[in-house]
Amino acid sequence: MTAIELRGVRKEFPGVTAVRDLDLTVETGEVYGFLGPNGAGKSTTIDVVLDLVRPTAGTVRVLGRDPATESVAIRRDTGVLPDGFSVYGRLSGRRHVQFAADSKAVDADVDAVLERVGLADAADRAAGDYSKGMRQRLALAMALVGEPDLLILDEPSAGLDPAGVVRMREIVTAEAERGATVFFSSHVLGQVEAVCDRVGILRAGELVAEDSIEGLRETVGDEATLEVTVDVVTDAVQTAVSGVEGVSHVSAADATLTVNCAPAQKTAVIDAVEAAGARVEDFHTREASLEDLFLAYTEGETPGSGPDASATTAGSPEVSE
Amino acid sequence: MSLRAVARKDFHDTVRSRGMVALVGLFSLLVALFAYVVRPQGAAGQFATELLLSAFVGPVLVTGLVPLVGVVVGYNAVSGERESGSLKLLLSLPHSRADVVFGKVLGRSAALVLAVFAGFLLPATVLVATPVPFNAGSFLGYTVFAAVLGAVFVSIAVGCSAALATRQRALIAGIGIYVAFVLLWGFFTGRVLGAFQGPIETLPVTVSSVRSFLDVANPTTGVEVLANGFLADQLFTGDAVDRQVSAVSMLVFWALAPPLAGLWAFDRADL
Repeated sequence: MTAIELRGVRKEFPGVTAVRDLDLTVETGEVYGFLGPNGAGKSTTIDVVLDLVRPTAGTVRVLGRDPATESVAIRRDTGVLPDGFSVYGRLSGRRHVQFAADSKAVDADVDAVLERVGLADAADRAAGDYSKGMRQRLALAMALVGEPDLLILDEPSAGLDPAGVVRMREIVTAEAERGATVFFSSHVLGQVEAVCDRVGILRAGELVAEDSIEGLRETVGDEATLEVTVDVVTDAVQTAVSGVEGVSHVSAADATLTVNCAPAQKTAVIDAVEAAGARVEDFHTREASLEDLFLAYTEGETPGSGPDASATTAGSPEVSE
Repeated sequence: MSLRAVARKDFHDTVRSRGMVALVGLFSLLVALFAYVVRPQGAAGQFATELLLSAFVGPVLVTGLVPLVGVVVGYNAVSGERESGSLKLLLSLPHSRADVVFGKVLGRSAALVLAVFAGFLLPATVLVATPVPFNAGSFLGYTVFAAVLGAVFVSIAVGCSAALATRQRALIAGIGIYVAFVLLWGFFTGRVLGAFQGPIETLPVTVSSVRSFLDVANPTTGVEVLANGFLADQLFTGDAVDRQVSAVSMLVFWALAPPLAGLWAFDRADL
């Protein structure tokens, strides 16, 4: 069974199409990272899943049910950490979690849940006095109540300190091991890389890539790109560089050689250039990373064209050596 | 279950607001002040409980202040949560939108009823304790009518709150409700009767019976009619039975119709 299934989902708000023709499948038991820059339509998609927003077109199934008619039943088996929420300022953290338990009609160990998210010490304080990170933990605690089959976490790391991010990751992993499906959104790839089985990348309301982390890594490849500026580019230099083991491609423009090679061969390439009689004036390497790919998909002009998109991305980090 | 969870949450949230303490204090102060005004003069004086209620507590507190408080308690019930984002937390849990609207009507009405009882009865305990004869039964009964009126206005305001997207619009609607029911009802109904006098005369009803119905259709007048009947020991007996029945049915109408209409709009909204 699939946990979340969207087919051709489209959502138009006055003057803007937030999501267009989105097909998305989240399998039961997997951890799915929903990536995209701010404003890509991630929260709208989650709102559609939760029936906070009704799609203009398309069909949605969540835990085998239709959100338009069975939203309450869906939410009974789902824990949600929403984005842009606020707490009930006058009520204590404990009362919030108790309210979640009452709402789901489950007998939850409220203290244990608060302990798990690291709020045990602040349980009796009014949530209005909580910091941003503590509010985030409180909403996570409410989501965890009742061992839900599906966890939907919208930007769960927002406002968390590094220790909080680690704890969040541990909780996601533990919930997945318990058998829960976890669907979470983020605009930072680093947060999903470590825990996700699969990621989908959303851009301007469209899913531009969907793959496992390994699959994305293969798309990127493990090659490095080396740019070498020399005094003068000769055929002899190019031939020498092409002959180095692990070099897949060499091109020259003006006084710059661009070499695609295995990362370990960078020194060998430089040595070969100098051995062929050229003087190396400067060089840069670019490690193709998942971050590059993510940026290419979310910022590039032509998403979906694979590693070339990553190599031509304007914002790629350059490493000077 | 879900309805009760929302109502309980909202009750706890509302009674913890600073406004609640102020409200109980204000009610107590006014009741005490009015009681002082009608205090028995001379040794053999009888405490005029009915005078206190029908001349002072009734017009000022019950038909003037309680509806206003009901509007204030109710207007941001849904729209306030929608604007702040706590509605997202609420609807992340398995509540239907109907549970949210009616849970809020119940939770906030309960909070207001508590405030009315505390505010009215705290000063009354002093009267009971003094040797002056005091009709505690009338006073208690009257307090129940005040609480009912407050709850009806909470319902109307929550209905508006559910239908409107922002706190500001809900506040404007709430003020409109107060002005319409408390200040301008007689004026409006007078104009309506004037305009439709011709058509009404063709129907098998008299203009005065329509006027009488329109009067009790206003919840404040309805509660006044019932409370006066209660004080005169003529509740659902005597000449005014028809008016009293109309008043009760209109109070039920105002308690249910606005939240239902609000829910109808709220159910269709993208949040």
